[in-house]
Amino acid sequence: MPVELRRAEPATGSLSDPSGSVQVRVETDGPWRTVVWNDPVNLMSYVVFVFRRHFGYSRLIAEQLMMQVHDEGRAVVSHGSRERVETDVQAMQSFGLRATLEKAGED
Amino acid sequence: MAHAFRRRPDGSLACRLDGEEKAIITQVAQETADLIRADLGIDADPDVLRHAADSDDPLRRLEAEFAGRDAREPADSAVKRLFPAASDDPNAAAEFRRLGQQDLADGKLADLQRVMKILDAAGAGHSEVVLDDEEALAMLRALNDVRIVLADRLDLQRDGDFDTVRMLQQIGERVEEAGEKEDDQVGSDIVIAVYELLSWLQESLLRALD
Repeated sequence: MPVELRRAEPATGSLSDPSGSVQVRVETDGPWRTVVWNDPVNLMSYVVFVFRRHFGYSRLIAEQLMMQVHDEGRAVVSHGSRERVETDVQAMQSFGLRATLEKAGED
Repeated sequence: MAHAFRRRPDGSLACRLDGEEKAIITQVAQETADLIRADLGIDADPDVLRHAADSDDPLRRLEAEFAGRDAREPADSAVKRLFPAASDDPNAAAEFRRLGQQDLADGKLADLQRVMKILDAAGAGHSEVVLDDEEALAMLRALNDVRIVLADRLDLQRDGDFDTVRMLQQIGERVEEAGEKEDDQVGSDIVIAVYELLSWLQESLLRALD
């Protein structure tokens, strides 16, 4: 994720989502959570795209989560029932992100 | 020479690629699909299994049932990366594979196939490659999966490893300016060049979508 390609100009996109909807589905609590792990291949812009596309997160939230993955090595990107988290992990893997599920409270 | 993706007035996304670039992308997409199939034991023709499932022979039906249920653990390091364990708990990870790996593989293979079809339809020479939004999504995922395989072959494990690989390549070039290159080195130079092309193309598509 770390791979940020040289940009001709500084990031053009604004940090706020024009749609304005803070759809923070960083979900209602549940006993399970989806974790995305850092890797040296996925482009930062791709990870942000995937978080926005799959979870419907605003650009700001998606960028914060991406940076957390990048800086801390992992980030919890959703919570919920086991079934729901399984769906999210499967979706993240379909995009090529390294994702695992874990029970909340275990570390 | 490739031209970046842009959004056209009709909403479609277009880039320009020359014949060699299309051929290279098609080749690495095909190799990625072949690798997934070989490593996970997926038949190239899913109809074979379907026919077996409909067979009159109960043994064939049983075989087909097992083949469908068996989610083989990946052995190749790149395929492991494409189909990672979904949990620390080996039982949970195996269960996840059993339930989801076949669908995951089907999706990845369909994306790769779709990209090959699009490039094929664009023709052999320098031409425009045009995508709708669904095709763009397939292209993003397929490019990413191919990059994951190439990164594995280049042994990229940590952030910044690609910069190191490229630096070593440049040093190697200077050292070897006089002499012939080893075959191995030529091979990895090509992988590096293809990885850069795919990264650039993926980034350009993401920007056009933004």
